[in-house]
Amino acid sequence: MSGLSIGGSQLDASWFLILAAILFIIGTAGVLVRRNPLVILICIELMLNAANLTLVVFALQLHNLEGQLFALMSMTVAAAEAVVGLAILVDIFHVRDVEDIDELSEMKG
Amino acid sequence: MATVTFFIAAAMAVAGAAGVVSFREPIRSVLSLVVVMLALAVLFLLLSAQFVFVVQIIVYAGAVMVLFLFVIALFGPTRELARTRLRFQSWLAALFVLAFLGLVWTMVQGIQYHQPDKGVDMSVFGTVQSIAVGLFTTYLYPFELTSILLLVAAIGAIYLSRKKVDDR
Repeated sequence: MSGLSIGGSQLDASWFLILAAILFIIGTAGVLVRRNPLVILICIELMLNAANLTLVVFALQLHNLEGQLFALMSMTVAAAEAVVGLAILVDIFHVRDVEDIDELSEMKG
Repeated sequence: MATVTFFIAAAMAVAGAAGVVSFREPIRSVLSLVVVMLALAVLFLLLSAQFVFVVQIIVYAGAVMVLFLFVIALFGPTRELARTRLRFQSWLAALFVLAFLGLVWTMVQGIQYHQPDKGVDMSVFGTVQSIAVGLFTTYLYPFELTSILLLVAAIGAIYLSRKKVDDR
């Protein structure tokens, strides 16, 4: 039931889901381990891409186009997030060079 | 054939993702992310999502990545410090990641798949026409809201990165 027939051959939907999970987890590891704020934003983009993959997989598995529409919406939100995040980073980089995200901890209580 | 394509694209995606996390220079991370996005675009095409495939290449691998490259080009190649400030950070991260992997793995194994919807014309699934019908009829309001979101993001970015003339 989870089989997807693509171009005459049967692929299992769970393969795609596991691939998306692996990509998401690599992105999570990047956010947890890396120190450069720019690289952390890049890793968040990676996680959003993995989520998009699951949306498109379930769109095909359920024969329902809404998954693909939601993937498009999520791409829009990701683009907006990247724009605002990078603008904030540029603003901070103007003031000083940040090599470690932990240097930006003045706003904690 | 589709199986071979899947495994090649999946290997490319995982290798690129590993590169994103492990390269020291941010510019290499960005270029690795472009590899991941192109591999995912191939997978989208495999999953009969033609329009999402094109948008992925133009908007994501094109526009968003160029934005990242511009920021890196503006501020030079900042190398990352090799050592981390927090002790045990990598160990804690590895522990968390393994636990998360196990959680997701068991979830994927236990998914109860629903039956596919009946009466859907799969010959036009994911084409520009079918996407447009969805976007401009049922989901017209969310679609218009995304345009407002993009406008707000653009204004916010301009405001944040403007030249401070009157800094006193």
